[in-house]
Amino acid sequence: MAEPVVTCRNVSRVYEGEAVPVHALRGVDFDLSAGEWVSLAGPSGSGKSTLLHVIGGLDHPTEGSVTVDDVEVTALSEAALSDLRLRKIGFVFQAYNLIPVLSALENVEFIMQLQGIAGGERRQRALDALDALGIADLADRRPGEMSGGQQQRVAIARAIVTNPVLLLADEPSANLDSATTEELLDVLRKLNRERGVTILTATHDPMVMGYTTRQVNLRDGNIVDN
Amino acid sequence: MPVKLLLQLSWRNLWRHRRRNTILLVAIAVAVAGVLLLNSLLRGIQVNMKESVIDNLTGHVKVLQPGYLDDPSITHGFEVARDWDMDVDPDAIVGWTSRIRVPAVIMSERETRGVQLVGVDPARESISFLDDIVIDGEALLSPDDRRVLVGAGLAEQLETKVGRRLVLITQGADGLNREAGYRIAGIYRAEAAGLEKAFVFTGAETLKDMLDTLVVTEVSVRLADDSHEPGILATMIDAFTGLDVLSWRDLEPQAAMITEFMDTAVFIYFLVIMSALVFGLVNTLVTAVMERVRELGMLRALGMRPRTVVAQVVVESSLVMAVGVGGGVLIAMCVYALVADGIDLTAFDESLQSFGVSPQMVPVMQTSDVVMVVALSLILGLLASFYPARRAVKLKPLDALRR
Repeated sequence: MAEPVVTCRNVSRVYEGEAVPVHALRGVDFDLSAGEWVSLAGPSGSGKSTLLHVIGGLDHPTEGSVTVDDVEVTALSEAALSDLRLRKIGFVFQAYNLIPVLSALENVEFIMQLQGIAGGERRQRALDALDALGIADLADRRPGEMSGGQQQRVAIARAIVTNPVLLLADEPSANLDSATTEELLDVLRKLNRERGVTILTATHDPMVMGYTTRQVNLRDGNIVDN
Repeated sequence: MPVKLLLQLSWRNLWRHRRRNTILLVAIAVAVAGVLLLNSLLRGIQVNMKESVIDNLTGHVKVLQPGYLDDPSITHGFEVARDWDMDVDPDAIVGWTSRIRVPAVIMSERETRGVQLVGVDPARESISFLDDIVIDGEALLSPDDRRVLVGAGLAEQLETKVGRRLVLITQGADGLNREAGYRIAGIYRAEAAGLEKAFVFTGAETLKDMLDTLVVTEVSVRLADDSHEPGILATMIDAFTGLDVLSWRDLEPQAAMITEFMDTAVFIYFLVIMSALVFGLVNTLVTAVMERVRELGMLRALGMRPRTVVAQVVVESSLVMAVGVGGGVLIAMCVYALVADGIDLTAFDESLQSFGVSPQMVPVMQTSDVVMVVALSLILGLLASFYPARRAVKLKPLDALRR
C-alpha cells in the first residue's frame, strides 16, 4: 500500500449563510495515496470543490484535520499555507488563471521564481515542461494569444514543473471542447502513469471520471461512494 | 522576496492599461513639472528680492554706530582707519566698503527734495547697485570727486540735467547745517525707480570735508555666499567692538520675513498640489487592484505570500509614481531651459517694484528643491499605495478566485 499523500479526518465546512448555515462538508474522511488519480464527483453543491480547496489550503475546515504530505494543514498560518501551496501542491484551475502579462514560458517559470530557483535551471525546466505537454513552440506567446486548450496545457506545465507531491485540478475540462479535453486527459494520464504524479480532480465531467483510477462521489457534503 | 519578478510584473502591468496609466502618468508629470516650475519662479522672486535688498547699499553684513538706525546722522558715525582692511579669506567676500550716509535736502533752481546723501569710494562700490547702473554723463571717479551723481527720477523732479549745479544742505558733526554746491557728473538709471529718487552720491572724502568730520556711518560687506555669514559676522564683531554688526535680515526684517515665508510657501504649495494628486492616485490604484482581484487571488493560490502581494502593489504604485515624477522633472527642465534667461514682466513693473522685485523675472531651479519634490513625491506615492495594497492582501485567495 502506497503512503497516503492526503488524509482528511472528520472534515466539516460550514458557511454562514444569510438565513441558515450551509453545510458544505459534513465529517468527511478521505485518503489519497501517492500515485493515485482520484476524481471527486457529484452534483453542484455536493462539496467536491470545497474538499479540494480545503486540501489545497485555500479554505479552512470548520472542524476536523487535513494532512498533506505529513503536514497538518489546519494548523498553518496564511504565510505557511502559501509556502505549502508553493512547494507541495500544483493547481490547475477551471479558468486557467495564467498571468496575462507573462509569456507561456514565464508563466511556467513563475512558481520557480517564487521558490528562488536560479535563472538557467528555471528556464530549462520550464522549457522541458512545455515540451512534455507538446507546446514548446508556444513558449513566447502570452495567454491572450493562445486557445483555451493551449492555456490549460500551460497551466498544467506550471503546476507540475516543480514536481509537487499533489496536483489539484478543479473542473479542468469545464471550458474545453471534448477533443481538447481528451488531449488534456491523455497528458494528465501520462503524467500520472509515467511520472507518478498524484492527482485529485473535482469534476462532474464523465469523460474525466473515466480517466481516473478511483472515483469518490459526494452528495450534500458527505462521501456516498468511494 | 523575488525582487526581479516583482519589478518585471510591475513594469508590464504599467503598460497593461495604456490609456488609464498614460492619463495617470501625464497627471503626475504635469503636477510635478508645475510644482517645480512654480517653485523656480518663487525661488527666483526670493533670490531677486534678497539680491535687491543686498544691492540697495545694505550688503550681507553692515557695521553701524548704535542709535544710527533711529537717528541716521553724522553724530552716529565712527572712525575707520584709511589703511584698515578685512582680515578674512578673500574667497569669502565679494568686497567691502565704508560710506557716509546722511539725510540731506537737495535744491535745484526750481525744486527742493529730501534725499539720502551718500559719500562713497566709487572703486569699492562693485558690491552695490552702483555697479549695475546706466549713467548719462560721467561716473564718480574717486572718493575725492567733488561732483554728484543723481538718479533720473530725482533729476526729473528737480528739472535739472548733467552739468548743472545743485545745492545740498545737511547737518554737520557739530549740529550746524552745512551747505555746498555740487555739479552733476551724471544721471543714473537704476532697476528700481525708488532708488533713483532716494540716493544722491558724491565722493566720501568730499562729504567728510563738507561735514567737517573724519568718521563714516557704515561699513558694508558683500559675501560670496550665505554660508560665510556667521564667520564674517564674528570677524566684524571682533574688529568693531562696541558697534552694531548686523546682517541684512536685521536691517531689512520685512524682506527677510517674506524670503523665509517663501520657503514655507514653496513647501505648502507642493503639499497642496501633491495631496490632491495623491487622492487621484489612490483612487486609480484601488481601481487597478479591484480590477485584478482574481489575478491577485490566483497569485496567492499559487503560493505568493501575503507580504509579497503587498510588495507587488507597492512596487507597481511606486513605479507609476517614479515614471511620472521622472517625466515631470524632464518637462520642468525643458521649460526651465527655455525661460532660464528671464521672463519679462515689465507690464507688472509698478506692483513688482513695491515688493522690491525686478521686472525681469529670472527663475531659479535649485537642486535642493528638485530633490525635495522628487523625494516627497515618491514618499507620497509609497504612502498612497498602502491602502490598495492592504485591500489586496485582505482578499482571501478563494474569495478572489470566485469573483
